[in-house]
Amino acid sequence: MKNVLIVAAREFRQIASMRSFWLTLLIMPLSIAAGAVAPQLFDKDQADRVMIIDRTGGSEAQALGQRFRLDEARNELSALSRYVQRHHLERADPRALWAQHDRWYSDADVARFVAAGGAAAAKAKIARVKAEDTPEFTPPEPDFELVPVPASLAKVPDAQLDNALKPVLKPTDKDAEAVDYVILVPASFGESPLVRLWANKQPSQQFVGTVQEVLTRDLRTRFLAAQGVSPGAAERASTIAPALAISTPPPGGGAREAMLVRSILPLAAAYLLMISLMLSGSWMLQGTVEERSNKLLETVLACVSPQELMYGKLLGTAGVGLFMIAVWVGCGIFAGYATHGAIADLIRPALDPLTSPGTILALIYFFVVGYVTIAILFLAIGAMSDSMRDAQGYLMPVLLLILLPITILMQAVLGGNNGGVLMEVLTWVPIWTPFAVLARLGLGIPTWEVVGTGILLAAFTAAEMVLLGRLFRASLLAQGQRPNVREVISRMRAVPS
Amino acid sequence: MGSNDLSVLTLERVSKRFDQTIAVDDLSFSVEQGTVFGFLGGNGAGKTTSLRMVLDIIRPTSGKIDVLGRPPGRENAAEIGFLPEERGLYRQMTALDTIAYFGRLKGMATADAKREGAALLDRFGLAENAKMSVDKLSKGMAQKVQLATALVNRPRLLILDEPFSGLDPVNQGLLEDEIRRISAGGSTVVFSTHVMQHAERLCDRLLLLGRGRKMFEGTLDDARAQLPARLALVAKNDPSRLPGVESADDRGEAEPGWRRWDVRLEPGVEPGHVLEQCVAEQFALRRFEQVHASLHDVFVHIVGTPEIEQ
Repeated sequence: MKNVLIVAAREFRQIASMRSFWLTLLIMPLSIAAGAVAPQLFDKDQADRVMIIDRTGGSEAQALGQRFRLDEARNELSALSRYVQRHHLERADPRALWAQHDRWYSDADVARFVAAGGAAAAKAKIARVKAEDTPEFTPPEPDFELVPVPASLAKVPDAQLDNALKPVLKPTDKDAEAVDYVILVPASFGESPLVRLWANKQPSQQFVGTVQEVLTRDLRTRFLAAQGVSPGAAERASTIAPALAISTPPPGGGAREAMLVRSILPLAAAYLLMISLMLSGSWMLQGTVEERSNKLLETVLACVSPQELMYGKLLGTAGVGLFMIAVWVGCGIFAGYATHGAIADLIRPALDPLTSPGTILALIYFFVVGYVTIAILFLAIGAMSDSMRDAQGYLMPVLLLILLPITILMQAVLGGNNGGVLMEVLTWVPIWTPFAVLARLGLGIPTWEVVGTGILLAAFTAAEMVLLGRLFRASLLAQGQRPNVREVISRMRAVPS
Repeated sequence: MGSNDLSVLTLERVSKRFDQTIAVDDLSFSVEQGTVFGFLGGNGAGKTTSLRMVLDIIRPTSGKIDVLGRPPGRENAAEIGFLPEERGLYRQMTALDTIAYFGRLKGMATADAKREGAALLDRFGLAENAKMSVDKLSKGMAQKVQLATALVNRPRLLILDEPFSGLDPVNQGLLEDEIRRISAGGSTVVFSTHVMQHAERLCDRLLLLGRGRKMFEGTLDDARAQLPARLALVAKNDPSRLPGVESADDRGEAEPGWRRWDVRLEPGVEPGHVLEQCVAEQFALRRFEQVHASLHDVFVHIVGTPEIEQ
């Protein structure tokens, strides 16, 4: 056992001395950091400037302006709700709209929020209960800013606006601010539905949708009024909308979105298993090939048995893989509980499964045994290869065999599918079992299936250790041509004397 | 053949077969403590296979091996040093870490292995390179580190497989010195070689292998005795008519009236006996010198193959 540990420690140190190891190790923390920063980078730092030329008398411009302000207030209310939820500040006013999370805020809700003083009033209430180190709430930047129509444009005939708007949309003066959108509501609006929009870029879906919705409502009101409906009734008819009550189920309650969030950890475990296996496995393969090509093996085998060498290498490489995972998971937990933002909001509920001892046990078991099951394949390939080029010849078909079905499996799980013949096959064939079970843990997999596949996987790994152990031993000092399938089978069958 | 109390290595009727090939055939010998034992043979004679069986890297098909009083196995590693024919090192490890690693695999404590490794590097003139990774060392330096990995545990039995192959002249001298030093310290050295000069200079006893079989075992003098004695003469007349002389080859004029002769004696005839005959018969001589057979000649005579170097 002592020699196994000495070999394992050397393997670990050798891999840890490689630059590629540290680069790989840093990928996850950097991704998390990038994930936290990216939304800010992608966020617009300035609101789109919108000019509305309303030839109908101003009612349409007023309606559009109200709508933009309403949406801005809704965004503010949603952001405030997330802030309150993140910092557990509901006690500031449990009945306030911003203390009611995971819901859609209707226009009426938003109007109530604004009427109650908006974000400023909410901040005043929150200030009374929030801790000193809790950051202040920062309202989101508005998406749109209405700019007045200059007098020079107000009187330009509609037909000449194409030319007249050019300097507005693309000003030549560097200090002048460009207008992003210009909407023309012609005097004939109502009789004709035509409304014109100029934009200095590809118009956003959100903007066009908002404009269309406001003007559609107005057209409907006008139409109903023309049909003899009283103006008040016509207005009410246009605003009729279903009151959509959204219920967020408790964790595990069955909704797909909630389920997918819960699946993140097991899915991530399956992905991490795959990534760390591919990386540390290839490093181990490289080390074994180096020992063969550098003619080191005879010296080593004079001191340690082939079994000790094999177990040492497996242990060392598994140590590297698990170290990587520990660092990555540690970074995830840190990001989830020590930081704030979208990444933290995603990670925290994803770590929920860790409250169940059974899930923790299953995660660890399938991860570790899965690691050994696949890593030993790399080891046997390394023992049979005189060079990395030789090794690639064996490696490619093995990798394809393992990875291709797993990619399909991951897609299926991400799509919320947790059944079917393919899923069952992947779950019960031992080389895919660790990935399939880990991926399915979040979607729900029957306990008997977890136990059954676990036993089958253990038996398979034990048989693999025996057979590939023989192959490893017989291949270590063998020289000459790459062994063919018959030779490989013969080495597996050779019982050590 | 049985082992005695002084034997550190004994092979009894050991054979090793690979499929249809017999690599080692019914090999028996023993090596006594403190001796330098040469394992001679051409390529494919079975030297490496025999040494691998001693180290338990491969197992014999039949026969019995006794190493330091025990069967072959890694439990002997603490008392054995081994330098294989095909040598290599971990390229990314430092010289000192490499030596210490093998010391630890041989059961040494880390501190002891490092201390001994540092002492060896110092002795080999590599103290300043101790922290340098192997891939930055010259070939000659790497060869010294390889030797140090075999010596780090101060072995009772040092096994060297073709140790001089690939070494530069400086390191060949260093290795010869180390072999003498270890032997003087009471340890046993077994080394295989197909270069006879090293064996002639170093070995107390020799074993000649041919096609997996033992062809000869004994001292250097015993080996030379396998060949008829030869004489170098300067004489006026042809010495071939002298009693006990098998043949005499004329090697040309030495001085006016005198010629050089290469004389081969009949098996079992002593050179002194021929000298007595020359005196008795008043055979005119200006030079009478016994020529010792080289180990190379002995090898070719016994094994009948020229696959060795002088």
